[in-house]
Amino acid sequence: MIQILIYGAVISAIYAMLAVGFTLIFGVARILNLAHGSFYALGAYAVYALTAEAKLPLWLAAILAVLLVALFGILIERVLVRPLRRRSMLAVLLITLAVALMVEQVLLLIFGSEARNVPSFVSTAYHFLGVDVSGQRLLALAAGILVLGGLWVFMQHTKLGAAILAISQDAEAAQYVGIPADRMYSIVMGLSAGIAAAAGVLVAPFQTVIPGMGLLPLVKAFAIVVVGGLGSIPGSILGALLLGYTETFIAFKISIEWSQIVSVAAVLIALILRPTGFFGKRVAF
Amino acid sequence: MTEAIRHIDWIVALAALGVLAAGPSLFGTSYVIGVLTVALCFGMWAASWDFMSGLTGRENFGHSLFIGAGAYTAGFLNVKFGLSPYWSLIAGPLVAVLFGIAMGFPTLRLKGPYFALAMLSAAAVMQSLTIIFSEYTGGQDGLNGLDPMLDSTLAYYYLTLFFLALTAVILKLLANSSWGTLLRAVRGDEASCEAAGINVTFYKIVSLMISAAFAGLGGVLYAHYQLQVGPDLFAVVLSINIIIMVYVGGMGSIYGPIGGAILLNVLTEAFRGFSEYRLWVYTLVLMFIVYFMPQGLIAPLWRKIRAIVP
Repeated sequence: MIQILIYGAVISAIYAMLAVGFTLIFGVARILNLAHGSFYALGAYAVYALTAEAKLPLWLAAILAVLLVALFGILIERVLVRPLRRRSMLAVLLITLAVALMVEQVLLLIFGSEARNVPSFVSTAYHFLGVDVSGQRLLALAAGILVLGGLWVFMQHTKLGAAILAISQDAEAAQYVGIPADRMYSIVMGLSAGIAAAAGVLVAPFQTVIPGMGLLPLVKAFAIVVVGGLGSIPGSILGALLLGYTETFIAFKISIEWSQIVSVAAVLIALILRPTGFFGKRVAF
Repeated sequence: MTEAIRHIDWIVALAALGVLAAGPSLFGTSYVIGVLTVALCFGMWAASWDFMSGLTGRENFGHSLFIGAGAYTAGFLNVKFGLSPYWSLIAGPLVAVLFGIAMGFPTLRLKGPYFALAMLSAAAVMQSLTIIFSEYTGGQDGLNGLDPMLDSTLAYYYLTLFFLALTAVILKLLANSSWGTLLRAVRGDEASCEAAGINVTFYKIVSLMISAAFAGLGGVLYAHYQLQVGPDLFAVVLSINIIIMVYVGGMGSIYGPIGGAILLNVLTEAFRGFSEYRLWVYTLVLMFIVYFMPQGLIAPLWRKIRAIVP
């Protein structure tokens, strides 16, 4: 039982980091970003390349990886998404899908299909209330909480955060009071890419790092965001907790296969019963 | 927006049909016949996607739900119950329509991306269920040993071509009727349609049922070509591939998506020479078309040509 509690918390923290970025870019810029999983995969591969190939110390590699992926996100928004955003949502979906396919192919070409190993940040295992938990998982949990807390402070207590919130509430009105919408979209894309990359960096030591690793997190982020309400940050954190714990519980008590179906079934039920999710705004659509 | 069908359209459509009919005898290997049969199935899927989503603008990200429903119906009836494959031609579309009703009622009254997301997750749920209930569905291996509908693959190719032509004509005529105009109006402004007293939800659900029926039919034909059905028929990747084909062909035109499906299927085969770079080329083509040709490739091209022809 304690095991479920701790493992569930770790998974929830990772899911929340993925879902928050995904919901942020949708809530602010109305971009359903299918390349979100690629940011996660790129984060893991970047930290691998910087430690194993460039021989950098792990902490420096981790920071650089997050920054590089955030820059990549800004680049994608600036070059590929921005010209298409006014055209149609489907065009944006397809171009981000193309980016996702491209990233997977590039990773496959450079690193091959075999799984890569990333060293743990903390190698000690902790004995915790009668269960063994690796230090890396606890670090992922702590870092996840820290990032989410940091994001909350940023959104609520800085001018930039306020500007982003303003855009998400009413883009047109925000532009009238002088907030540059396009630049905000770039910032949010970079932020969301960076948070996804941080999740990738944190799980890299205990997950298999393969080129296609971004797909499943994308589906999970999707599910969480729908359950929590598209565009709502508290909703996606609640959704992440719900999904993380349900999955862990079912994986421990029933089977791994059934745990995989939970996320998609949750989406379906949520959409039918309460399509705007826990905290989604009905007026937003 | 709706272009009236002119003589030139019928002539070119017949010519295209002639080329497709002559295809196997031009490159008569059984490999080519196989590639073309699959391409025709994709043509049916793309056209049926376009009828609902292209016209009303409600993008369906789980079209594979209907394809898998049709294909698995064929698999169950033939392998488990030993029924003649021809029964599936009726039962497959019917089951797909039932899925369409089940999905349409709760989700099509919603606006925004919810319909797309619900369809996507429904297809994913079905894919997982086929794996979980593997004692009935054969799990990852699927159901094997379906009976071929016809003895020769060439004859089966012509049967598939017949059904594709039938699908194309029915859907195109429907799209050009007042019904199609209504669906386009829904894409334009749903609120005004409702204000004008049109039961928008009813029209969306019925067009989803029509779309599902033809997708299911394509699924049955595909199953009896492969003689096997597997969980991949419910895969999200399949739905997304179909959307790419529709986009390349030109959304909302019915004939464009069929052309897009055949073109991309043949191209992917032609790219086999690039081996590991194949997906690269495919992705680059997709990026190029999305970025520079917002209306797609085939339908706008044809509109330009027929504007010149008197």
